[in-house]
Amino acid sequence: MCECQNCGNCENGQKKVVSRRKFMAWSVGAINLAVFGAVFGPVLGFLGSPLRHRQMKQWVPVLDEGALGEGETKEVPFTVRVKDGYEMVDRTYVVYLVRSEEGIVALDPSCTHLGCRIKFQADKNRYFCPCHGGVFDNRGTVVSGPPPKPLVRHAVEVREGKIWVQRSV
Amino acid sequence: MSRRTLSPERPVENVPVPETQEEALRLERPSLRDWTDLRLGWWGFVRKNLDEPMPPGVGWWQTLGNLLLTLLLFQFVTGFALAMYYAPSPSSAYHSVKHLTETVPLGSFVRGLHMWGSGAIVVTVVLHILRVFYWGSYKKPRELTWVFGVLIFNVVLGFSFTGYLLPWDQKAYWATVVGTRIAATVPFVGPDLLRLIRGGEEVGALTLTRFYAIHVMLLPASLVVLTGLHLYLVRRLHIAGPVLPQKGKPVPFFPVQLFRDAIVVLVGLGIVVYLALAFPPAIEAMADPAGTDFTPRPEWYFLGLYELLKIVPQGYEVLATVVIPGLISLGMLFLPWLDRSPSRHPAMRASIILAGTFVSLTIGLMTLKGVIETPPPHHPPAAKAEAPTPDGTP
Repeated sequence: MCECQNCGNCENGQKKVVSRRKFMAWSVGAINLAVFGAVFGPVLGFLGSPLRHRQMKQWVPVLDEGALGEGETKEVPFTVRVKDGYEMVDRTYVVYLVRSEEGIVALDPSCTHLGCRIKFQADKNRYFCPCHGGVFDNRGTVVSGPPPKPLVRHAVEVREGKIWVQRSV
Repeated sequence: MSRRTLSPERPVENVPVPETQEEALRLERPSLRDWTDLRLGWWGFVRKNLDEPMPPGVGWWQTLGNLLLTLLLFQFVTGFALAMYYAPSPSSAYHSVKHLTETVPLGSFVRGLHMWGSGAIVVTVVLHILRVFYWGSYKKPRELTWVFGVLIFNVVLGFSFTGYLLPWDQKAYWATVVGTRIAATVPFVGPDLLRLIRGGEEVGALTLTRFYAIHVMLLPASLVVLTGLHLYLVRRLHIAGPVLPQKGKPVPFFPVQLFRDAIVVLVGLGIVVYLALAFPPAIEAMADPAGTDFTPRPEWYFLGLYELLKIVPQGYEVLATVVIPGLISLGMLFLPWLDRSPSRHPAMRASIILAGTFVSLTIGLMTLKGVIETPPPHHPPAAKAEAPTPDGTP
């Protein structure tokens, strides 16, 4: 009697055996899988390494405190030494500093829609995105256009007469 | 079970058996051409392709595939030449492109051929797709020919997107900042996807090497495989011919159709050469992540998408970045199964024709709107404060 009862391939009560041909075919398939895995596994892990990267926060002095008047908005560039892949570079970023009744606010100049660089227009007291028409008020709140969120605020501190901004690098 | 064996005496297939004495002598002492042909079967292959039967009514519209193939081959050649002078790192990419454009003899022309060639490819591939769409040539049994064609179209767009960054000028940098940010709008995995594409949080050295590797290795390899499959199927299943079968006998591909192809290739490449000479490629200022006086603007064939992003309401940008382009791509890919009508006649598949026409016209009009309305890339520069020098943590 066949062990598997109803496979239909058995004759005269023989046990079902894997043929030599089938065994080899499966082996070739398994070896191929192992070979591809040996190449693509490490390569995918290698390419996915940015996912494991964690950002560092760094405090940077950007402006003398006295240089920012009450109610004033200033576009302030500052340079930080950052690791860009395989090299250390001095990268210049820009931050908008606003002094208002709630203190000093540091706004990131990237539009929250798709990252275009916003521009402050002093006469309108608004930030305008040149790409898709996003408009923010001087505190970074969305006034109109497609941006889904207010402008990103960086942490700010005043120490030793300087305005410090904390930025991810 | 019988075992198949290969015996050395077994005759090789397709080797001609001499019928006359003269033939026997020729095969015994073959000329170089016969000698190679006996081994490669090359002339047989060429002859078979030249004798490929063209259905009556095949004409100028069927020359676009050949033009596309030629343009793609030219991109390989000019791309290879450019890669010889190019260095994919933020500190040297811009200078290497500036050098090859301004100093290397014929550099501007070769780069111009590559740049205008890429635009010509997009135009040709779109015309080719529209022709196949309106003629209904994607129908049974040519569904997979269409699918490979759509995949080639996507590879072409991938080439444009990755190639755009390589000069590392302001235009390249900012278009990529915005273009890659589209990935961040994908629900759930967006931020990770963005980091994966950029090779980090920001567009930088690793973005450039990634895009370069994709542009010169991954995409060309994919293109060769897909084009090979596409052409194999075109020859295996033959050309579909006009929607309504026309009277007459099939005509061999050579000489009439090949002649038409040659004329179109001449005109197409002539236009590319003219544009490369008359409008040499420009290079903007070097990429400046701090620059505020530059308006990102994608390559003209992505301007439709750029315009779409202005229209969708706040909070729904995923519609413009993922949902609509995704649906169009899937619709294209699965078109042979969405259009179940057995007839190729446009009147017999009105809904598909209307939908396709609507999508094509909308993309065309949005692109036109983008070309007309998008502001020039430069703002008047704003007064800047002096950048303080880097300092450590307090």
